[in-house]
Order: sequence, then C-alpha cells, then structure tokens
Amino acid sequence: MKIEKITCAQTDSCYNYIKHPSGLDILVCEMEGFSTTEALFGTKYGSINTMFKTKADRDFTIVPEGIAHFLEHKLFENEDCDAFNLFAKTGASANAFTSFDKTCYLFSCSDNYKESLKILLDFVQAPYFTKENVDKEQGIIGQEIRMCDDNPSWKVLFNLLTAMYHDHPVKIDIAGTVESIAQIDADLLYKCYNTFYNLHNMVLAIAGNVKTEEVIEIADKSLKPCENQELETVFPEEPYEIVQKKIVQMLPVGSPMFNIGLKSGPLSGYERHKTEMECYIAANVLSDASSALYKRLISQELINSTFDSEIFAGDGYFSVIFGGESENPEKVMEEISAEIESAKKNGLDRKLFESIKKSTYGSIIREQNNPEAVANNFINTHLAGIKPFDTVKVLTEMTYEDVMNALNERFDTDNMAISIIES
Amino acid sequence: MAFYKRKEISGGIGYTTIIDKKFKTNKVEIRFITELDPKTAAANAMAVGIIGSSSSRYRNISELTAKLNSLYGANINISISKRADNQILSIGTSTINNKYAFDGEDINGEVLDILLDCVFSPNAASGEFDQEPFQFRRKDLLDTIDAEINNKRGYAVMQAQKSIYKGESSANSSYGTKEEAEAVTPASAYSAYNRLLKEAQIEIYYVGQSEDIAAEEKIIKAFSKVERAPVICRFKNISPLKAEVCRCGERLDVNQCKMVMAFKSDYENTYALKLVSTLFGETPISKLFANVREKLSLCYYCASGYNEFKGTMIVDCGIEEANIEKTENEIMNQLKAMQESNFTDDELENGLLSLENALRGVGDTTNSLVNWYFSHFIKNDIVDPQTEIKRYRSVTRQQIAEAAKSFELDTVYVMRGEE
Repeated sequence: MKIEKITCAQTDSCYNYIKHPSGLDILVCEMEGFSTTEALFGTKYGSINTMFKTKADRDFTIVPEGIAHFLEHKLFENEDCDAFNLFAKTGASANAFTSFDKTCYLFSCSDNYKESLKILLDFVQAPYFTKENVDKEQGIIGQEIRMCDDNPSWKVLFNLLTAMYHDHPVKIDIAGTVESIAQIDADLLYKCYNTFYNLHNMVLAIAGNVKTEEVIEIADKSLKPCENQELETVFPEEPYEIVQKKIVQMLPVGSPMFNIGLKSGPLSGYERHKTEMECYIAANVLSDASSALYKRLISQELINSTFDSEIFAGDGYFSVIFGGESENPEKVMEEISAEIESAKKNGLDRKLFESIKKSTYGSIIREQNNPEAVANNFINTHLAGIKPFDTVKVLTEMTYEDVMNALNERFDTDNMAISIIES
Repeated sequence: MAFYKRKEISGGIGYTTIIDKKFKTNKVEIRFITELDPKTAAANAMAVGIIGSSSSRYRNISELTAKLNSLYGANINISISKRADNQILSIGTSTINNKYAFDGEDINGEVLDILLDCVFSPNAASGEFDQEPFQFRRKDLLDTIDAEINNKRGYAVMQAQKSIYKGESSANSSYGTKEEAEAVTPASAYSAYNRLLKEAQIEIYYVGQSEDIAAEEKIIKAFSKVERAPVICRFKNISPLKAEVCRCGERLDVNQCKMVMAFKSDYENTYALKLVSTLFGETPISKLFANVREKLSLCYYCASGYNEFKGTMIVDCGIEEANIEKTENEIMNQLKAMQESNFTDDELENGLLSLENALRGVGDTTNSLVNWYFSHFIKNDIVDPQTEIKRYRSVTRQQIAEAAKSFELDTVYVMRGEE
C-alpha cells in the first residue's frame, strides 16, 4: 500500500494520502506539538441524495426526505450498545452531522486515539435498525425539526432555497418533516445504508496527534473490503430561472433578517471549486466592510455588522448569497444589484481585489493552526472531488480577469431572489 | 503545554505571555473586567465596540478593514460577555506569523501598532467619540439586543436568568438593555471608555510561537501612561436560594417549548459539583441524555451546565407543551438518582475521562489557552490542566452524592407557544 505525501510550500504543511485496499480513501495530517486528534469518517450522502441506483438495481429508488439525517441518528445504535457508550470509555468527544451532500461521524480526543479510531470505524460499519429503535427516534428527530422551525437563521436560508429552486432537493430541510420521517422504516434505512455506506463512497480524514502507520494498521484490521457498486445519484432537471423573486415569513425576530441569492448553473469538481473561489473574492470585493457598497449601506443605516456573503454550491446547485439584518431588505437588494451592474460595467476595485486575495490567503494559514479545521477541510474537499491544497493553488493562480469573468457569468441580477423573516 | 508567565505591569495590569512553537498565528488580547452594572453596561459595550472599529488613523470600520485586509486578513475583534456578576470586554488581534508574508512585511508589528492606536488614540475629540463610528456601533448594539430573541434556546436561558439571579448583577445582559443603549451619547460612551481604562481590572495576553520583547515593551510603555485606580472585581458570589421555587415564563410564537430549571448549592467542593453536572447532563452518556432523550424520546436536547462562581446548575431543554410536567418530573428523578449515589463506577470513570479529554486539549488553540489562564486568574488559582485533572480524580463518590444533595431547585422558566 502506497503512502503518498503531499506538501504545500506556501502554507508550510503536508499530509499523507492512502488508497486503502478496502476501497476507502484515507487522508492523514500529522501535526507536531498538538495534543488533540480530530477524525471524521464521512460518506458522500446527504439530504439531496433522494434518488439513486447501483449497478445491482434496475430502477432508481426514491426515498423520503430527511432519511440521510435519520440514518445518521440510528447508526449510533449498534446491536449490543450505543456508540456513545463505547467512546465514553476512551474519553473522546463523539458526534455526527448530516449536511446537504455528506454525512460524517467524528471524534475529538486528546488521548487513546487508536482505541477511538477503532470504535469509529467499527460502529459505522455495523448498522442495526429495528422497528422499535426506528420508532423511538421519531420523537427525538421530531423535536429537532421543531427546534429548527423556530430558528430564523435556518428558515431564512431554506425559504430562499425554495424561492430559487424548482425541483432540486437542496430546498428540502436536511432533517425532513415530521410527515416525511414518519415514512421511514428499517428496510429503507438498510437500503440507503447499503448503497451509500460503501467504502468506495467514503473517506477517513484524521489530523493532529496521529501517526500514519498506526492509522493504516487499525484500518487494515477494521475495514471490511467492499465491491465498488458504481453508485449513481440523479437530480431532477433544474431550470436556470428562479421560482419566485420574494418570500416572506413571520417569526419572532429582532431586526428583519434577509438572504439574497443569485442563482446560476451547476458545476462540478475542480471547475466548481475554482469558480466558487472566484465568486467568493468577487462577492467580498463588492461587499466587504472596506467596499464602497458597505460604506453606503452603513451610512444609510440599511445594514449592520451581520452583513455577509457566501457561495452556496454543490451537486446540481450554485448560488451567491448575501445575508444580514435590515429594516429595508428590498432596498439592500436594489443596492446590491446596482453595485453588481456597476462593477460589470466599470470593473471591480483592483486594489481591493489584491487585498481580499491576501486576506483569503491569511485565512488559509489560520486553518492550518487547528486539527479540527484541517480534518474538516480534508472531508469537504475530498468529497467535492478536489484536493485539500487546491484552494491555495486556485488562489495563487487567480487573476483579476478570472474574477471579472465570474462576476459576469455568476452574478445574474435578473435571476435574484430575496427571503425575509420579520416579526 | 505551552510556556506561561504572568507579570504585573504598571497600574496593577497583568501581562501574560503564552508561547508554543506549533502556532502559525499570533494573538494579543486586552480584557477589561468591571462589575456588570445596568447603568454602565451598554455604554461600556458601545465604547469597546467603537475602539474595535476605528482609531484616529483609520477613522471608521471601512478604513480599518481595508488596512487589515492588506495585512493578510488580520482582524481586530471585540467580545462582550459576562462572568458571574462582572462584565468582560475584550479587544484583540489575530495575525499570521511574519514568516508567511509574501514580501517580508512585519505583519505583527504593524497590527500591534493599529491595536494600540485603537486603544490609546481613538477617533474622538473634545471629550466625545466621532459621530461616524458611534452611529455604526450604536445601531449594531441596538440590533444585537433586539436579536437576542432570534436564538430561542439562548433567549430562554437569558430570560430565566432574570429570575434566577433576581436582584444580582448576573441577572443583567452583558450588553445592557435597549433603553440604556438608546440613552448612550458619544460623550457618555467616551467617558465610559476612559473609566474602563482607569478603573477596570485589565489583563493583557500575548500568544505566539516565540516571545516578542519589542511588542511587550511597546504594550507596557503604552499602558504606563494611563492614570489608574483599578477596582478589584469579586467573582465568587454564590446566588442565594429562594425561599420558594420561582415559576415563571412567557408565551411566544414558537413551535417548541423551552424549559429552563436552575438548581443552587453552597457546597464547598466545586470539583464535586462540576462532576455532578457532568454525570447528570453534560455528555451523551449522562443521566439526562440517556433518559430524557434516549429512553423517553421527550426532546432533542436536555443538558446541564454548572457555574461555579454563582453556585448554580442550569438545565435546559426543548419539548412539546404536553410534556412539560413529564419532563420536569424525569429531570427531578434523575437528580434524585445522583443524590442517592445511583450511578455506576463506570459512569463516574467515563465522566472523568470526558473532563480529562477536554482539559488535555486546552493547549491546542490560542483562544482556549487565553480562556484557561483568564479563568484561573479570576479564581486566583493558576494551575495547569494536569493539576486540575488530579483534583477531579481526588473527588470521592460520597462527595459527589453530597454535592448532588446540596443542589436545590430555585427557578423553573417555561417558554410556551401562543394560545
């Protein structure tokens, strides 16, 4: 088995990549001087993967909304005990999360990492679903859904996604609804588990106080080799255009909250990552606290310091989102739209472009300071089909013209929606 | 664990140096500690907000951000919080090490100069802050206070604390009230800031790969010019138990009810009390998680937290309205189990391992190191995590049961949906 050492001179960091014979990709970063070990065992399976088939299936399977998240909850329960009880014996802090496009199981520890790693690999490979334990989880997840329903930051995003996406499952709440999870049973969970929790569809990322050889030794003993099932996931055809321009919901909040999204066509792999980074820089040049737009919005008291931007992209979706709080969100949208059109016509501020690039480089260095951030970067990049240091590569090679192109192609003000939460 | 030393510089100000060669970033943080007084909390918060977003050289947030961006995204951050009955206001910087600069710039030196400018040369004249940064922070503070309701779990705990600590400083928000914030003027914020410089306890932290003598001298020199009359804050101030359990709450347009229960104790051994809270509700193997969530499926979260300065353990959960009584009963049953020593040796050992795991990781981030040494400074008990682990290990089962018995129910707050 080959250990491939990958280095990055700019950030003075390196990691080891191993293609394990079981089919699993393993990424290890040995970080000298750190006590903490952070490990994530993840699968490319999230809330958007509602339609799929393997080479053994004739037809595509369609599953209820929220099933990836439900499966995450249930996997913690093995036949003889709860995984939390196993981790408790090592002192590790264990958890899991489901996002739009991935499910990850993780632990963080400052001692006994080898024992914790063995537990992690073992329990994720040992599903145990019964009618009783599935029924029991309905109440717990039902309360999680209700908690999210009361969270305005969560609702303002999902309402925006509903306004932007016609059919793509990214608009569905990650936990599903009380009604959709009621359709989940043990058989469906096994179907999803056997499809997505195949080691060829998974990755192990581990960083901090760790030795590569020890990780491989544990992987050799614990991983059960899998046959590649040639998994296919499909998404409904999504029109380019948004669904509706505006969506408003009443909830108890302080100042009204808003998310403004500019939808554009999907991309994948390195091309998506490169475009994401270019859009990230463009959005920051337009709206960073040092920008003309920010100064104008602040002076008119249209925004406060919560104003921010992000690039929201994954399999089948790509959008630029501006968010914050304002007494007049629609005026903010008008101002953003005018600023984008002005930048397309007159160009982005070159000086600001250079300093935002520098600032972004600084944030990449900061990430290398923390095992949790390093391990999460491994998972995010690997499951997105790129390499952990591609961000540095993209940033180093990025030109002003690249960012202007991204602005022209990805900031379509005719395809812009706003979501508002107000009291 | 990192190298640590603290020395007192002029005016009773503490200067702490924490060195660990593994860090790729440097951190400088100045903490002002003052009593959480509702009359001054909002003005203090606004004042520190203003100095964190402007100076006489970079006169507003835009000019300051433009400069910091060019210094590889260095940031000047502020934080306002409360610890026991005190308000903690901090302003700090975080920068990448100079060795990562493309053109050999002295990032750390430049950012330190900017920070010291913000602190000692604010954008102010004739005894008041300039209108521009003042208006920016005024709106921000008012919006922050209004937005406390956005996070329903945090809001419920904050509302409950008004009853739990009624008549004590801890009952107040660290940001002050909306009315107090509205009354602050550029002049009153400026005088609040000068009062902080003169009267607050001040602790300064430097965390980096190696000692920076030049930076230290610059900071010491800058602070030596300040006229000081520090007021020492008291941290340990056990909250008195109410004669009768206070039952309070409110109705809001929410889908899920929130229940907050506060238990108080004046038991002396804080390590035993913290262990009670750990075994009771701080981990996924705790009594509350295993029973209220996993066994009875009543909630997604039900957790406890212990405040040693106030002698208070707070339990909070999100539940259906129909299950309020059932949940309260189960929480009380689980506390009774702790009081009757009804926990296994394994539960105790696992709780200790969980605490040890957290303590051993303290040295891995610059933030956690500053928080660790600050927390121990205010307890007047500077120790390393290893010593803390030994103290937990010395607690007996009997002490844990005694500590659990000492917790008495003080307040139950419930947020319900609208009728």
